[in-house]
Amino acid sequence: MNPHAKLIISLSLITGTTITISSNHWIMAWTGLEINTLAIIPLISKSHHPRAIEASIKYFLTQSAASALILFSSMINAWSTGQWDITQLNNPVSCLMMTMAIAIKLGLAPFHFWFPEVLQGSSLTTALLLSTLMKLPPTILLLLTSQSLNPSLLTLLAISSAVLGGWMGLNQTQTRKILAFSSISHLGWMIVIIIYNPKLTLLTFIIYTTLTSAVFLSLNQSKILKLSTMLISWTKTPMLNATLMLTLLSLAGLPPLTGFMPKWLIIQELTKQEMTPTATIITLLSLLGLFFYLRLAYHSTITLPPNTSNHMKLWYTNKTPNTSTAILTTLSTLLLPLSPLIITMT
Amino acid sequence: MLKIILPTAMLLPMALLSPPKTMWMNTTTYSLLIALISLQWLTPSYYPSKNLTLWTGIDQISTPLLALSCWFLPLMILASQGHLQHEPHTRKRTFISALIIIQPFIMLAFSATELILFYIAFEATLIPTLILITRWGNQPERLSAGIYLLFYTLISSLPLLIAILFLHSKTGTLHLPILKLTPPNPTTQWSNLVSNLALLVAFMVKAPLYGLHLWLPKAHVEAPIAGSMLLAALLLKLGGYGIMRITLLMGPSSSHLCYPFLTLALWGALMTSSICLRQTDLKSLIAYSSVSHMGLVIAASMIQTHWSFSGAMILMISHGLTSSMLFCLANTNYERTHSRILILTRGLQPLLPLMSTWWLLANMTNMALPPTTNLMAELTIMVSLFNWSFPTIILTGTATLLTASYTLYMLLSTQRGTLPTHITSTPNSNTREHLLMTLHIIPLLALILKPELISGTPL
Repeated sequence: MNPHAKLIISLSLITGTTITISSNHWIMAWTGLEINTLAIIPLISKSHHPRAIEASIKYFLTQSAASALILFSSMINAWSTGQWDITQLNNPVSCLMMTMAIAIKLGLAPFHFWFPEVLQGSSLTTALLLSTLMKLPPTILLLLTSQSLNPSLLTLLAISSAVLGGWMGLNQTQTRKILAFSSISHLGWMIVIIIYNPKLTLLTFIIYTTLTSAVFLSLNQSKILKLSTMLISWTKTPMLNATLMLTLLSLAGLPPLTGFMPKWLIIQELTKQEMTPTATIITLLSLLGLFFYLRLAYHSTITLPPNTSNHMKLWYTNKTPNTSTAILTTLSTLLLPLSPLIITMT
Repeated sequence: MLKIILPTAMLLPMALLSPPKTMWMNTTTYSLLIALISLQWLTPSYYPSKNLTLWTGIDQISTPLLALSCWFLPLMILASQGHLQHEPHTRKRTFISALIIIQPFIMLAFSATELILFYIAFEATLIPTLILITRWGNQPERLSAGIYLLFYTLISSLPLLIAILFLHSKTGTLHLPILKLTPPNPTTQWSNLVSNLALLVAFMVKAPLYGLHLWLPKAHVEAPIAGSMLLAALLLKLGGYGIMRITLLMGPSSSHLCYPFLTLALWGALMTSSICLRQTDLKSLIAYSSVSHMGLVIAASMIQTHWSFSGAMILMISHGLTSSMLFCLANTNYERTHSRILILTRGLQPLLPLMSTWWLLANMTNMALPPTTNLMAELTIMVSLFNWSFPTIILTGTATLLTASYTLYMLLSTQRGTLPTHITSTPNSNTREHLLMTLHIIPLLALILKPELISGTPL
């Protein structure tokens, strides 16, 4: 890609995100979202492949529909209450529509259909952007409006995302689709707590971003797009594969790793709010996700020889992994003992 | 506490940095040194718990188990030398580091006084165990064994996490000595029952209770020798230890709750002993014998009397040493014949005469012959169960009889009889293996002289 175009695109991604998360006027928030959408589309369709073009069209249609819905609902709110303040979303109709629009933007469960397809059509780095940076502005909007949204609707959305993300990831063989479904189920965890403790949502988002960036960058290092490629990738980067397994188990939320921290705090908050059944349901649903993370972990490092595989071995390339992968992997496995510090910081 | 945990954690850099020639020697000596130092925990004390801090503290229940877990690290390293000798050097290193990483977590789990720390340490043992089984096992079935292990444990322990956090929101603390003093929280009957059930089931799966035990034989059969030793000697004891801790907290409302668990545990002791009688796989036989013995431990810790608790403690320690020794013996056979099938490895006494002495001793302790500590434990448990309810003697008596018969069957079929024709030459048993067996049997024999070290008078 042309370096000038790259510069402009990355600048406008940053600008769009910043405008949305720092605005308190609905029009500015909408503007930021639109800038973001328009900036990411060249990145998705970069590879001129039919799948990439299809993905960018799908992304454009859903995002612009959702943005229009956001504009519409904020206008209705402004019509009935006479102000454009984001935190003052009082009209019930616009609340409902806003929840739906943001659910479409984020890819929450009943509105999630575009997300795996778009991720599958784009490259691994763009997929990383789509599942982390592009979800930040809608999440922030949800955080700002959280006190006026309907709690039972949000809980329903959260649980259905956890169900669908776990369930539909089970029979995937493409790593990007698996990570897309993992993103959907993690969004479920973020949404379930948003009414009761919005800061915890932000913490979960940050931890999820760290974990998933580590996974995406590790996969990108050895160009793993399918499970069968993953099975033979240990010849390329043996050490990275071993740490990739730990990162994946951390994403599954197993205890001594970082991924356990958000789950622990969310369950604690939910039991404090007398929502023990919800906590039990969403915790047991995370086991669905664990199954496919475990399969990825098996493919990444555990099924080494003595097992023989039918695939041709790849050449060992003496390419050193970049520093950011190393830092992110370390963070995503070892942060749990620091959780008291992290809680006080957020 | 830290003066043992920190050296154990520093074993990891030692294993990673020591030169290839001396790696085995360094790790074994160093961990044996830690084990020797850890024995000073066993000195009797006037206070209910020694070294009590905010997070950790050791009392009469946890002391023997802590000393046992320190004792087992050098033994596990010693036992794995044989099957790793053809592996490249870096893999040996990673294997040893996986073994070492588990150790601080097990020690934290046994010594934690904060329930959430206990939970984290309890769960943290899972990933290294999974890696041990699925990475270093021998057959393709090890992958499904790993899935069984992980999912059985997690399905039961996630409700435990929720129950612990629920307890925290009700009582405001998770510190065990304080929790013992707080009265049972006045919630509804129903939520009390559900939370007690959630608190217990995780440990019942780990222990394992009959009916929730299916992951264990699979994991044992597929695991390398260190994994089997770890599971039999320490991880199952984590379950028994958890039950003893939790039942002390649950208060009188648990009296109805204990009936299904007691029934299943005693019936399971009977059933798994009979399964052992028709077992063809040596490791699977030993695994089912573990389930049967742990059934007695569960039954004893559910009725919550002083006698039953000391019986359960003695049985846990002596069964840990005995079953681990049996697994080591099975592994020495496996390394020579490459088969665990009982019919294929018969009559080894003429070939490996000293090994058959170890087989005899291990089987004697497993069938609880006098004067072993296993007998003391089983007698104590049977007496306390008999005192609780008369008809249990039928179940426990039959289970003891069956234990004796399958142990005899195991001894006779591996050691006596004619040698099968396909075994023409085997390597001699070497000093390392004899040392391993000696280090198992010495504590067993020495404890006969002073069983009050491990009898753990509960609070």
